[in-house]
Amino acid sequence: MIEQPQEIRFKGLGVSEGIVIGQVLRMHDGIQNVYHWKLDIDDVDSERHRFRAAVDLARRQVMAIKKQAEQRLGKDHAYIFDAHLLLLEDKKLTDDVERQITEHHANAEWAVKVVGDRLLSLYSEIKDEYLRERGSDIEDVMQRLLVALSGAEPQPRSLSEDAVVVSQDLLPSALAELDLEHARALATDTGGWTSHTAILARGIGIPAVVGLRDFYRRTRTGDQIIVDSNRDEVILHPSSATLERYQTETANRIRGRVATEAGVVGPLRTEDGIEVILRANIELPAEFEGVKKYGARGVGLYRSEFLLARRGVIVSEEEQQLAYEEVARVAGDDGVSIRLFDLGGENLRELSQEAEKNPALGLRAIRFGLVNEPVMRTQIRAILRAGQSGRLRILLPMVADVSDVRRAQVIINDETENLTKEGIPVTPMSVGAMIEVPSAVWTADSIAKTVDFFELGTNDLVQYTLAVDRGNDEVADWFRTLHPAVLRSIDHGLKAARKAGIPAIVCGEMASTPAYVVLLIGLGATELSMTPSAIPRVRRTIAGIDSRVAREIAEACLKAETADDVEDLVRERLSQLWYHLFPPASLPARRQAR
Amino acid sequence: MVERTLTVKARLGLHARAAAKLVRVASGFDSRVELRRVDSGISADAKSILSVLMLAASRGTNLQASVEGDDEEAAMMAIDELFAEGFGEMEPESAK
Repeated sequence: MIEQPQEIRFKGLGVSEGIVIGQVLRMHDGIQNVYHWKLDIDDVDSERHRFRAAVDLARRQVMAIKKQAEQRLGKDHAYIFDAHLLLLEDKKLTDDVERQITEHHANAEWAVKVVGDRLLSLYSEIKDEYLRERGSDIEDVMQRLLVALSGAEPQPRSLSEDAVVVSQDLLPSALAELDLEHARALATDTGGWTSHTAILARGIGIPAVVGLRDFYRRTRTGDQIIVDSNRDEVILHPSSATLERYQTETANRIRGRVATEAGVVGPLRTEDGIEVILRANIELPAEFEGVKKYGARGVGLYRSEFLLARRGVIVSEEEQQLAYEEVARVAGDDGVSIRLFDLGGENLRELSQEAEKNPALGLRAIRFGLVNEPVMRTQIRAILRAGQSGRLRILLPMVADVSDVRRAQVIINDETENLTKEGIPVTPMSVGAMIEVPSAVWTADSIAKTVDFFELGTNDLVQYTLAVDRGNDEVADWFRTLHPAVLRSIDHGLKAARKAGIPAIVCGEMASTPAYVVLLIGLGATELSMTPSAIPRVRRTIAGIDSRVAREIAEACLKAETADDVEDLVRERLSQLWYHLFPPASLPARRQAR
Repeated sequence: MVERTLTVKARLGLHARAAAKLVRVASGFDSRVELRRVDSGISADAKSILSVLMLAASRGTNLQASVEGDDEEAAMMAIDELFAEGFGEMEPESAK
């Protein structure tokens, strides 16, 4: 019997929305080892000719790519390749390479590498993040020259119907050479919001998840894969249960869309009349239109990390301000919670430190901001300034207890004062805390007295409560969203908020999964925030249930001993009570006895 | 020689695409076209894309353009126009 490979999930950054089920097509990024040798004096001339011939070949290739890109992507995207052509024609570049060959008797490959590296290092000093990232154009051209020198023609790539292109990094021209009509999705190890992969994927409208770290080497061409940009992840070797869930979800999404178009907007109430507010989690501008389209009441969670692009640098105060103003416009009167950068030092080159042994438990989120105060101050100033033109709230990620909140508030007050002194008007802003680690859950009472609202981040809460890394397939059996400890934590957090009279928004995967939503409503949640496209199905669920019945189920679940018990309860009760809302595939799968 | 101070209005600065447009336009004239950053004094040959890219001119950067040659007036006009219209990139694109 062939051994069935285990399902593995990888977290990245969804940069172009959508979900695709397909097959892996691995693409090597073509980075080659370059060797150095010293030429005989007699060979210098022929080496220069060899280089010129390679430049010619590279130019012809780029012209062909450009033409193709114009037809497929439009002139706007094809302009990138005009820049590549100009680079190949640039005397400064070709003269430099030829000088290396003539003066240092270097082989052409080495000469190209030396000149390219020098240019790239100059480029990496550029302060402007967007311009600096364009160093990849130089890298691309150098790469093409090296391939041309090796005499290899780039292989034409024809793709099968459901190919998901997986690569370490996709240089722009490699991407354009792809048979894009057939590529269904992209998944890369590196890359960020403004990488070419991201821009082109959005341009042609296929899902893409980037920044997957060491994903590429774990794949084989032909492996089954799900790219879920909406949840920032890819799933390799999905189990049949996962596949089924995704197929249902895709079907639901289509139905959901029909429901919104039919005008299901306005206040949402359970059957017994409890109003529930649904907000949107967003990160990418591509998701902005979903806020209105799916009838979200503003933005419950704006992940600001996307502003820090692939090369990992802090964006200026002005740029941040512009970005926040735009989200505020999208969110409208219901406002937006801007979560401060939720990342660690490993994401930021300027501040990069020794790799931490255990980053999930390390210097990240609010801790990172408190240690790197200038980063946090810049962000807070940008939010405060943007607050003049829209309704913004500040959300503090991963607070351990009230002391983190107090330290952040000192900084917020400081910067409010500074801005006022500088003559920039500032209006007071709500400050909320993410409740997502156990220490915050169990001191939620005191935190609730200090902040204006709570947000319960269920993804991290599950991970930290159960001490299980969701990306580690070895412990996948221990990752149980419906663990009684998780439910009790949520219950505790919600109660603390109610007692203090502040709103609590539940976000994370739980809030977007209909079966789990029943429990959240049962625990008294009245505000949920989720990826916009999930809103229609959650809406349908909530409108079809009675919160009093949901409470009964939730209370029984709180008393359960194990996640298995909770799942059994949920499966039985939901399918009995609301079979029309919960077809079997939408419920937690029955587990094999362990 | 004609000289003029130009401001980069393209939303993303003089990045590869905008620089490519500039180099194409400048190369269409015989005159020598030099751009110099007003703040740092770094200068670039407008007919070399590498040189233009190394200016690292983000939005709002002021550049002193000096054009010298037989067709200097026409060249300056064309370049001025390119800067004035922000290289056709003033509108926010969906990608950012």
